Amino acid sequence: MLVVEDLVKRYGKFVAVDHLNMTVERGHVFGFVGPNGAGKTTTMRIAATLLAPTSGSVRVAGFDVVEEPIKVRRKVGYMPDFFGVYDNLKAIEYLDFYGASYGIPYKERQKTAEGLLDLVGLANKRDTYVDSLSRGMKQRLCLARSLMHDPELLILDEPASGMDPRARVELKNILKELKNMGKTVLVSSHILSELSEMCDSIGIIEHGRLVVSGDVRNIMETISGRLTVRIKLLDDMDRAINILKEQPMVSNIFQEDDVLEIGYKGKDEDLWPLLKTLVVNDVPVISFSKTDGNLEKVFMEVTQDEEMV
Amino acid sequence: MKRWFSNPVLASELKIRMRSWRTVLMVVGYLAIMLAIAYLFLTASVRTMSRYGGVNISSNLGLQLYMILAFIQFMLIIILIPAQTAGAISGEREKQTLDLLLCTPLSSLSIVLGKMLSSMSFVLLLTIASIPLFSLVFLFGGIAPMDIVTLFAFYLITAFAVGSIGIFCSVLFKKTSTATVVAYIVIFALGIITLLLGTYMMSEFLGRNPNFSSVYIPFPFYLNPAVGLSDLLGQQSGNTGGMGLPILGISSAMYNANVAMTGSLSWMAQKLGIWGTNLVIISVISVVLLLISAWVIKPVRTIHSSKRHSAGTGVN
Repeated sequence: MLVVEDLVKRYGKFVAVDHLNMTVERGHVFGFVGPNGAGKTTTMRIAATLLAPTSGSVRVAGFDVVEEPIKVRRKVGYMPDFFGVYDNLKAIEYLDFYGASYGIPYKERQKTAEGLLDLVGLANKRDTYVDSLSRGMKQRLCLARSLMHDPELLILDEPASGMDPRARVELKNILKELKNMGKTVLVSSHILSELSEMCDSIGIIEHGRLVVSGDVRNIMETISGRLTVRIKLLDDMDRAINILKEQPMVSNIFQEDDVLEIGYKGKDEDLWPLLKTLVVNDVPVISFSKTDGNLEKVFMEVTQDEEMV
Repeated sequence: MKRWFSNPVLASELKIRMRSWRTVLMVVGYLAIMLAIAYLFLTASVRTMSRYGGVNISSNLGLQLYMILAFIQFMLIIILIPAQTAGAISGEREKQTLDLLLCTPLSSLSIVLGKMLSSMSFVLLLTIASIPLFSLVFLFGGIAPMDIVTLFAFYLITAFAVGSIGIFCSVLFKKTSTATVVAYIVIFALGIITLLLGTYMMSEFLGRNPNFSSVYIPFPFYLNPAVGLSDLLGQQSGNTGGMGLPILGISSAMYNANVAMTGSLSWMAQKLGIWGTNLVIISVISVVLLLISAWVIKPVRTIHSSKRHSAGTGVN
């Protein structure tokens, strides 16, 4: 459904997307993960025909976003991370306006709009002015807007941002519903645990490059060979980091307050020499435990965030 | 016409703007002010005439009233339309709604036109609502219904031109405040500069040709709607109403086909008059500005694919 080939987007000297390749299969929910500025939004905006690529190509349902943007727009429903609403339009009028923009006949778009308001849980807000809706409600209304023309591919840029926990659960249910309807969804989020529950496959992007991509289960299996260890220290954090950096099996180190989280390329039985090394060097270890792998660990392992030590 | 109103951008904006009671009150207020001006003018004129030898209700009085109302309408268009249109696209950007519009199959030209027409709609409504007020001048004679139709056609095209400058600024500048200021500067600078430049060119020409006896029209006059309006009113009044362009050495005599005209586009001015040529020129400029605006907001402009692929070859 979505094929990105050797995509490059440059702003002057800054390379936002750097020879990105990825494919989203029809009917799949693809989670697009990456730190801020990694190139997620740029890639999504190119796929939504809102930005021209510097080079490379993006095809949606076989149509090139540059050569045939109008055909692509009919296939894509786009929900940006930041968006505004028109003052003095009611929720139903808001959807009707966008339906009209897609050339949907009046009666049909009224029916579609009513159905979508019901889908996103805003049926009781039908005649409420859009500017008086809460942020979460506006997010859901914008999601309904992106579905007005029955697109095959939904591009959702951080749809859960600004939502309260209840609204996030509702969003997750809506996405499941959309998946059941056979929609292909490209969704970006920082909430990795949520993505792991709702996505078939994920791609982790950093510095404009896709560093990991594939089926969620395969990725989890891939990283299961690596251990993630949490080490809580009383103090002497810097010395502990220096000692850990000298260990060949330690792949990366992440510090959060008095806890070090490390990636360890070894088996369970290889862990005790590591603990011994710390203790022998008088590092005040309070706790030392292995943690289960999850998407967040994958993210930590494959990205080189500036917060990492 | 139906196609225009089926433009979703225009239809939606009209719905928002026109369902407010404030719009109705403003139309009523505007008409009341226009009526008050007409009443005060007529009352003052009658009193003045009665003081100096008796009341003479002539067509001249009607012409003067017509020109006052025509001038007020013109100023309304020149002053209000830039403020309305300069925020049309930049406002969408500021509200973060432009992307949502651009990712629909609507063409960028229909977005630009829809935004421009809806932004101008209120001023056009005021203008159209005031047409019956102009029928007051029929009481005095001197102005035919066709004159009023011509005047309003002139207003529509002038509004279109001013609106296209506003939209162009709105596309070029991200902030509405900047776009509005620049639009006013452009419109007023255009009005003053073309007048001064045209007058200068005219005096230069006459200085070089002291025995020249026909009419010379410099090109900058065609860019100035105020010159066009003066010319139109002068023609309609037969230069008896104190308007026209006598100050520039041009009189209604030029409309006599026997008087030769020279200067830029004189062949067109000979047939259409200065105001007609003015309308043609500003219409062409407006269309060009709107096409450029549509091109600028277009997010993906077709670039040849081989060019796109070659652009990336240098990046590793």
